[in-house]
Amino acid sequence: MSATPRPYGVIAEFDTPADVMHAAEKIRDSGFLNWDVFTPFPIHGMDNAMGLKNSKVGWFSFVGGVTGYTLGMVMIWWMNAVDYPIVVGGKPMFSPFGAFPPSYELTILLGSFGAIAGMLFLNRLPRLHHPLLKHGRFRLATHDKFFLVIETTDPKYSETETRKLLESTGSKRIEIVEE
Amino acid sequence: MSSHGESEKFVPLDLSRWKNLPIVLMVLGGIGALIGLAVDPKQFGYSWLLAFMFAVSLCMGGFFLTLIHHLFDASWSVPIRRINEHLGAMTYQVLPFLFIPIGIYAMAPAIGLHLPSLYPWMNELLTNPAAAGHDHALQAKQPLFTVAGFFGVAAFNFVMWFIFARGLKAWSLKQDETGAAECTLKMRFYASLGIFVFAVTLTLGAIMWMKALMHEWFSTMYPVYYFAGSVWMTLATVYLVAAILKRQNGQLREVLKQKQFYFIGSLIFAFTVFYAYVTFSQYFIIWNANMPEETFWYAVREKGNFWDLGMLLIFGHFFLPFLSLLRIDAKLTLPVMVPLFVWAWIMHFVDLEFNIGPTPHPNGITAGSVALDLACLAFMVGLLALVWLRNFRAHAPYPIRDPRLAEGLDMYVAPSDIATAPGHAK
Repeated sequence: MSATPRPYGVIAEFDTPADVMHAAEKIRDSGFLNWDVFTPFPIHGMDNAMGLKNSKVGWFSFVGGVTGYTLGMVMIWWMNAVDYPIVVGGKPMFSPFGAFPPSYELTILLGSFGAIAGMLFLNRLPRLHHPLLKHGRFRLATHDKFFLVIETTDPKYSETETRKLLESTGSKRIEIVEE
Repeated sequence: MSSHGESEKFVPLDLSRWKNLPIVLMVLGGIGALIGLAVDPKQFGYSWLLAFMFAVSLCMGGFFLTLIHHLFDASWSVPIRRINEHLGAMTYQVLPFLFIPIGIYAMAPAIGLHLPSLYPWMNELLTNPAAAGHDHALQAKQPLFTVAGFFGVAAFNFVMWFIFARGLKAWSLKQDETGAAECTLKMRFYASLGIFVFAVTLTLGAIMWMKALMHEWFSTMYPVYYFAGSVWMTLATVYLVAAILKRQNGQLREVLKQKQFYFIGSLIFAFTVFYAYVTFSQYFIIWNANMPEETFWYAVREKGNFWDLGMLLIFGHFFLPFLSLLRIDAKLTLPVMVPLFVWAWIMHFVDLEFNIGPTPHPNGITAGSVALDLACLAFMVGLLALVWLRNFRAHAPYPIRDPRLAEGLDMYVAPSDIATAPGHAK
């Protein structure tokens, strides 16, 4: 409790989407890794400005979908053809056609589970607290201010140089956020 | 959407080497078709029908894309609309003439040709009316399945396409000159009625021209199945045409952005899934109900190499494009999209073989029949390309004064600048 709080990162405040976007381009080009931008609304072109690659969530849904489809097919084959065979309408005990609709539904179900779980996992959610929430002005990120945060864990982080860099992007208010 | 590299000096793609390609296709295809006609006149009818249905797919696909553009009041597709309008216009400019040999072949026994009719039901009707009177499947489909019904449908379709595809194109071209809002309103009017016309005429065409080859069959999914494959193939074509024009035409280069290609790519992906969904549903319903008057259609398609064609459709028409288009970036990657276009054409051809082939060749298509199919197809594609290029050259390459153009290019136009914005420029 009495230990000095460690700095979490440096936060820079901007007044317009254009300002924060140009700042993001500059930070991207300086090669920072652990940083993020917080805005009240999505800004078109921000992904490019931040150098963000396509999200990896798709892979989670893909794996979920493939799992769901396989699971459905195997389940129906096991139940109808192996464990408890019943002849229905003279059809084969197992046919991929009859088993397709439920397997397809499972593809969608587990695909969406994969997407949600993957999103939570990649975002490291849920979590109960975040250092930025301690920062008084950060609540304006849902109102009319735009923030750019560089974490101290970034390999390129330096208390003086990073602050200078952020000053050069035109931010009027740069502060240290504590853990 | 970034536009890297677009500020470099523009060097138009040199396409002069390919200038004569449509004519070459027409001549080679025409010669091949004539040889086929002399060697195997019966097969020629089916080959011509197959190529005709391919041409219908392409033209109706363009017509459809124009219709939905207006129905959704879309802005992103303004720059590609002229490509679609010219495709749609060929429904009345070219298709009626290509239909003539089909009309002749359908009536073959009645007009003194020593050939059976292209359609077995028509053959029965013309040569043995007594037997036709006892054919329950035929009697149940009166008055559509009569000579008058057959030609009435064709006439109806061509007249409707003339009115609606022409209306959409004519008002669009008029807007190039006047820039009037009235043109947009008229196009919306044509589109709102036109979508019903499209649905009815495409359904009638798919039933009377292709499904009627086995008239005993019932399937309410059939026209949707043909529609899904047609639009899928047309979208791939529009993507490629737009990609070439962007590199060749300085004006289009300014308006065809990443967004347009990404959206066409997404639509191709959507129609890949839609086609599979419809095709599977048609099969599944028939498989599940298990009634002989429906299952026979698939039973004959499990014989000979139709089994292989069916497998090719499952894996080639669905799985391959589906998996290769799954990633977001694939839709913007030309090394993926160009082979996909070629593949879409092959798959649509295989699809039509699967539908038409079993009537003349119950035991499987032969190298000769496929060669004649390809010759007829080459002739028609050459002709369509020729007419399309002539139309395209004669007018502005995109709707230059469409009020949605600036929005489609993601440009914000302040009210005070409207006079100088794209779409309003003199």
